Formats: sequence, C-alpha cells, structure tokens
Amino acid sequence: MSFWIRLNMFFRSFFLQAGWNFVKYQNLGFAFVMVPFLRKLYMYDPEMLPTVLSRYLDTFNTHPVMASFCFGAMAKQEESVAKAQSVTEYKEQVAEWSGARRGLSITAASIGDRLFWGTLKPLTLLMALFIWMLLGINFFETPQLQPISCFEAFSAGIMAFLTYNAIALFVRWEGIKIGYESDESSCFGLTRFDWNRTIYKAKRLGIFFSVGLILFGVYHHFGKIQVGLDFFARALLVLFFIIISFVTRRLKIPNVYLYLSAVVIFTTVCLF
Amino acid sequence: MTTTVILLCLLASVLELDVTYAFQTLLSRPIIAGPLFGLCIGDMMAGVQVGIFAELLFIDISPLGGIVPPSGVVASAIPLILYSLGVDLYFGFFFGVLMALLYSLFDTLLRKTRFKWLVFLEAKIGKKPTDLWRIVGVSLLLSFLMTFIFISVASWVCAQTAFWLFPYLSSKVHFAFQMAYMAVPWIGLATLLSTFRLKTR
Repeated sequence: MSFWIRLNMFFRSFFLQAGWNFVKYQNLGFAFVMVPFLRKLYMYDPEMLPTVLSRYLDTFNTHPVMASFCFGAMAKQEESVAKAQSVTEYKEQVAEWSGARRGLSITAASIGDRLFWGTLKPLTLLMALFIWMLLGINFFETPQLQPISCFEAFSAGIMAFLTYNAIALFVRWEGIKIGYESDESSCFGLTRFDWNRTIYKAKRLGIFFSVGLILFGVYHHFGKIQVGLDFFARALLVLFFIIISFVTRRLKIPNVYLYLSAVVIFTTVCLF
Repeated sequence: MTTTVILLCLLASVLELDVTYAFQTLLSRPIIAGPLFGLCIGDMMAGVQVGIFAELLFIDISPLGGIVPPSGVVASAIPLILYSLGVDLYFGFFFGVLMALLYSLFDTLLRKTRFKWLVFLEAKIGKKPTDLWRIVGVSLLLSFLMTFIFISVASWVCAQTAFWLFPYLSSKVHFAFQMAYMAVPWIGLATLLSTFRLKTR
C-alpha cells in the first residue's frame, strides 16, 4: 500500500460514521474509506468495482478509531480476492474476507470501547479537572461565578483534547499499516499491542487521580466555609450523593436520572 | 442578542457533527464546547462550569454498539443560550439536560429513517462509485441542518417556558434547583471512581 493511498484512507477514516444507520451501521463510511485502495487495485478491471463495493456496503460496525486495523486488514484480504484464479477460489477468498471483516470488527470494537470510551476519555477529563483546579478555578461554587481569562478557560480542555488525539491519531495512522502488514495469526496486528495491560495501567492511574480529585474537591469546596450548620448540611449532601451515585452505578441507572430525581425530590421537599 | 443565539446554534450544530458523523476528535466534548459557548456569550466561567457539569453527568453513557447517548453539546449549548437571555444557570442546565435526552431520541429517529434513503443510495453507488463523496457530503449537511433546527427550536421553546414559569416560581424552587445543580459534580466524580474499577484482568 503506497503512502498516498494510506494518507487518503486516513483522512477518509474521519468520515467513517457519516452515514451511520441502524441497519448496516457504518457500511457507507467503510466503503467510502476503502474506495481509493479499491480503485487502485481494480485499476485495470473497473467493471469489477461496483460488485466489489457492494460487499463493502454490507453491515459493518466497530470503534471509529480502531477501525483503522480493519481498513488495513481488509485491503490485504481484498488483494487475495483480486488475485483469485478460479470461481471456486474467488468464492473461498470472499468467504474468508467476510469472516475476517466480521471477526476483526467485533474484536477491534471491544478493545476500542474499553480503551477510548471507557478509559482514555474519563482519564483526560480527570486531567482537565486537575488542571482547572490547579489554576484555582472553583467550579463547585454555584451561584457566584468568578471571571476567568481565556487561558484559564481553554488550557485544560486543550490539554485533554491533545492527549486524547495524540493516541487516537497514532492508532488511526499506524492501524492501517499494521493491519495491512499482519495476518490472521496475529489477529491482523491487534496482538502487537498489550491492550489489556495498557487499559489496566490507565485505570489504576484513573483511580489514583479520581480519589485525589475528590479529596482536592472537598478541600476546595469546604476549605473556606466555617464549621457550622451550613458546613454540615453541605457535607451531608455531598456524602449522600457520592453514596447514592455508587448505588445507582451498581443498579446501572445513568447519572442523568439521578440528577433529574434530585430536582424532583428537592422541589417536592422545598414546596411541602 | 439574537446574533449571539444564532451563532451559538450554528457552532453547536457544527460541533455536534464531531460527536458521531465526522472526525470524532472529541472537540465536541462539553469541557471544550462549554468554554467555546461561554466565549460567545461573554461569560467563560459559566461555559467552563456547564461544560464540566455536562461532561460529568454523561460520563457513564458511552456510544457502544447502537446506543445514542444524550448529547453533551446540546446539554452545554441550551443552558448557555438561556443564560445569555437572562435565565439562571441552574434552571438552564435542567432544560439543557432534558433537551439532551430529547436530542438522543431525535438522533435515533434520524438514524432509523436514514436507512430508507440509503437503500436507494447504495444502488446509486453500485452504478457510480464516485458518487460516494457527494453522498457523504449531503449526509453531513443534512445532519448539520437537522441539529441546527433542533437546537434553535429547543432553545426557543425552553426560553419561552422559562419566562412563562418564572413569575410562578418561589425562592424555594430556586433553592431546590440550585441544590440539585450543586450535586452534579459530586455525582460525576463518584461515577469516575467506579468507571476506573479494575476488572480488565
């Protein structure tokens, strides 16, 4: 695969979910990403392209960043399909291509969901919150808001954005190459990285930072309040919400419903 | 004021594309979108706070498989639009959360209906593969327009409701909404702890 084809696929991969639908998921985007490679591969047989594209327009769903491994692997598999000498071999290669696509997309989605959505996104959020707190921004304060500068407002978000994208762009770019160069024995390059170890270490770091942030938050929020009725009332409320949040998490109730319930309960209590 | 609101709706609609349909660089996450909206309305601290609160509130819902999470962009944009119109931030945030949930249903509906015209487009791609660029472009443009319409209508409806409700709301109700708003970061921080539970090994 040439550098320019890889670059073209890399840029197109940002539009993988452009036609996301509930029946075939990312099929349109998948075909869109693969077109430059397919055009080159079937350069001398352009009549084949619509038939080939119809295979790519079948159901496809994976994590948008980890999808790069699928692009590389599917390109490699497509080369085998294109080289088939007989109808029987062609059918065998297409069946193999189809199986690899299904298997790889599921595996990549599982890793991507745990790594990017389950670990990296919350970790970069924690990083941003820490930066804001270090800059002295007390976002726990509700009614009176202190004015802040542009640097204070954007620095934390930009740091989180850069950290997340440094990893995501690396995986997007390298995934195409690794997927193309690897075979089934290494799960099309997915086993080249120890994902579990990375996720495990990142989560350990996340726990450490979460506890630190809660303690920092408690200090930030209560440090300036004199010990009295207001202090105890606030402390009790915070403790209550932390505990109830653990309970709802166990019951798999999203936070948003906890907030809406809090609005309803508080309004009812205040009114009656 | 109208210009600011329109600008905010446009910016939110562009950022919303980043959530699913294009890029997924997380430029649309509330901790970035919030300060951007704050800059538009001239109160960056309000933007930062709403951004942090929206992100913490929705951190436990990820777009796994076919799940359409509530939109963090909508949850940050609506409160700040209302805030710029004079509605308290804690009331605005409540409306923002409701609209973010509604947007998730709206987006689900869009994704369901999209397949109907995709069947037609697939046949078109089969005949002329070069049409893919145009199809992707039109798909993004339609998503942008639908989001813009949704955010504009939602902002108008929320603003009208808030101004209609205001004379009837006692200080006790204000206090209740303020307390619930104050609880959001603590709910989110506690969730972050459980998010990092070590169950990968």
